[in-house]
Amino acid sequence: MIASFVLLEGVVALCLGAAALVCLFDRHLLRASCLFVVFALFMALAWLLLGAPWLALVEVVLGVVFTGACFFYALGVFSPGTTYPAYNIDAMNYYDYSRDSCSHGVTRVLLALAWCLMMGGAIRYVMPEMVYSPTEHPLVLASIVIAATAMGAFAFHRHLLRRLLAFNILGSSVFLLLAGMAGTVEGAQALISVGLSIAWLGSLLGALLIRYLLMFDHDASPRPDDGVRGQSQ
Amino acid sequence: MIWRFGLLNATFEPLWLTHWALAATLVLPILFGLLGALFSTRRVLPVALACLPILLAGGLLLIDYQQAGLLRWQWQVAGVTISLRLNGLGILMLLVTQWVGAAAALYTPGHLRLTNPGKLSRWLWPLMGVLISALSLIWVAADLLTLYAALELMGLAAVGMLLLSGKPAALVAGMRYLLLTLVGSLAYLLGVALVLGYWGQLDLQTLADVVEPGPVAWVAAALMGAGLALKAALFPLHGWLTPVHESAWTPVSALHAALVIKASLFILVMLWSILLPGTSFAPQLVAWLGMLAIVWGGLVAWRANSLKTLVASSTVAQLGYLMVVFPLLLGPDIAPLPQALAWQGFWLQLIGHALAKAAMFMAAGNLILATGESSLKGLAGSSRRLPLSLLIFGIASVTLMGLPPSAGFTAKWLLLQAMVMTQQWVAVAALLVGTLLTAAYVFRVFRYSFDEQAPRHHYQPLAPGMDLIALCLALAAFGLGLLAHLPLSLLHGGVV
Repeated sequence: MIASFVLLEGVVALCLGAAALVCLFDRHLLRASCLFVVFALFMALAWLLLGAPWLALVEVVLGVVFTGACFFYALGVFSPGTTYPAYNIDAMNYYDYSRDSCSHGVTRVLLALAWCLMMGGAIRYVMPEMVYSPTEHPLVLASIVIAATAMGAFAFHRHLLRRLLAFNILGSSVFLLLAGMAGTVEGAQALISVGLSIAWLGSLLGALLIRYLLMFDHDASPRPDDGVRGQSQ
Repeated sequence: MIWRFGLLNATFEPLWLTHWALAATLVLPILFGLLGALFSTRRVLPVALACLPILLAGGLLLIDYQQAGLLRWQWQVAGVTISLRLNGLGILMLLVTQWVGAAAALYTPGHLRLTNPGKLSRWLWPLMGVLISALSLIWVAADLLTLYAALELMGLAAVGMLLLSGKPAALVAGMRYLLLTLVGSLAYLLGVALVLGYWGQLDLQTLADVVEPGPVAWVAAALMGAGLALKAALFPLHGWLTPVHESAWTPVSALHAALVIKASLFILVMLWSILLPGTSFAPQLVAWLGMLAIVWGGLVAWRANSLKTLVASSTVAQLGYLMVVFPLLLGPDIAPLPQALAWQGFWLQLIGHALAKAAMFMAAGNLILATGESSLKGLAGSSRRLPLSLLIFGIASVTLMGLPPSAGFTAKWLLLQAMVMTQQWVAVAALLVGTLLTAAYVFRVFRYSFDEQAPRHHYQPLAPGMDLIALCLALAAFGLGLLAHLPLSLLHGGVV
């Protein structure tokens, strides 16, 4: 029974890690958003395994449904071409062609490294057993890997939606780390619930912003084959 | 240090009227904000009527505090303990928040009528309400969970308010601010996780008893410090501040520079005094960065081309003064007298800057609105047509420069006294250099505005009261230097 439980935890941790990594580095934005929803579902499963069913419910409602909807809204899935006739959604818009930025590269690397260092310190002192047998808590191990990768992705991506995705995944891994370090006592559950609500509100604000910015970009630089804009030239 | 933050047991239970006053300070701003969104008001009278009960509640809390001393509240909600406390510092910051918030709210109708910004403007009221409520909660919160919730609420409301102007530049800057503030809060949360995992406590008073210096406290302090420094725009992490203010509405800028960044700084000082009592490295590091901030912020403000950049960069420099005081507040082996002086100077400087910077942003906003130009060169000739706005700018900058008898002067006097006593000559030098740089960039504004040669075209007349409110704030910062004993008597700690 216990062996199968640990095995299940390991499998969920592996799936979490895989979903997060693909989500962070997939340049196809729609696919990345779908993967984020999958990631959030696995998060809910992880909360169930950690013995926090209420948190799992909160994660499904806030993380999967609401935050997922924010990303799809930012991509314009709900309103293809209705708000702005000139705004023609095709496969191009779902793809992030921008090169990852190298400006301020050194600062960003330093900041991300400082973050990883502090996180390592936190683990080292609060969960000393992690140093000797890292596989004992597969979920915590997965959350460390995800947090480090997400911080790197956040520092280097330039596309705003991808940065927002990276923030959300970073947030989820920090919540998981919190639960790993402090257990799922009431205080920790309350902190995580507040954190999830804030992450959702932040994503909502970010999605609205991305939409507005897209509209401005579009108004500023119309493509030559645009019907509405083309006539005025 | 702990007792200064009122993390002690209270002598008296709060009276029933005190409960209602606290509830009113925390809930009424949100309620009135929602009403404001519903009616989308652009008249001063309803705003003034809404401000009145909130200010009355604040006054009532002040009277209760003076009678009963430290007040504490504690509730159990679903197994989680939520605790609040009201000490002298808390009530002082609460009053400053309410009065500056009321000034910004009263300034807003005139601004909205003149700029006519469209439908988005109705959302300003609920966001402002949430911001004031969250700030009030931060000053009284006494556990890490409440602090986290209030901090995040405040951050999101601030981002939302800054975005309202809707210009593309504002949106790009706002998006950057949003992402940074969210990541900053994750760093803070990881620090909280560490504290909760190691000591199993969220209540600040209990934590102050159980925390012992060691690697865990250091790492937690570093994580929380990094997150909060990012939110407070402390020196190397201040990059988001100027672009955000560049295209924001005037009352929003005033509130943000006066209060929002100060709240993060307040939490930072409070948590560090719990986690890092008597360490020297981290406060020293902050102090060195603060010296750099004074010089860098002053130089950027001096070279600035637009008025708002100048005012926003001066915030970076002014925060540097506060950072320089860190070793005196938190360092080891500081004698009680210089520590008390530094403590008083720190908060007096913070309050004086809050009032003066709000006034300065309003004056700058008035100048920009009236001349229709945001660059310094566009101010040419404004001395004749807009003398009152320039006068307000001048009075506010007297406080920033620290000339007598302003609050800035009294605060710097206290700080210099503490620094000379502890022989921190580098900090003294930084303070003096900062004063010179402030004078340099302020007089640059006057050089342009007293240029009488420029041909002048059209001036937009200002709404009545816009100058008056800014003048009141500037005079408050100016007069606080003479009446400094009033706030300082509140600052003496949890005991009357």
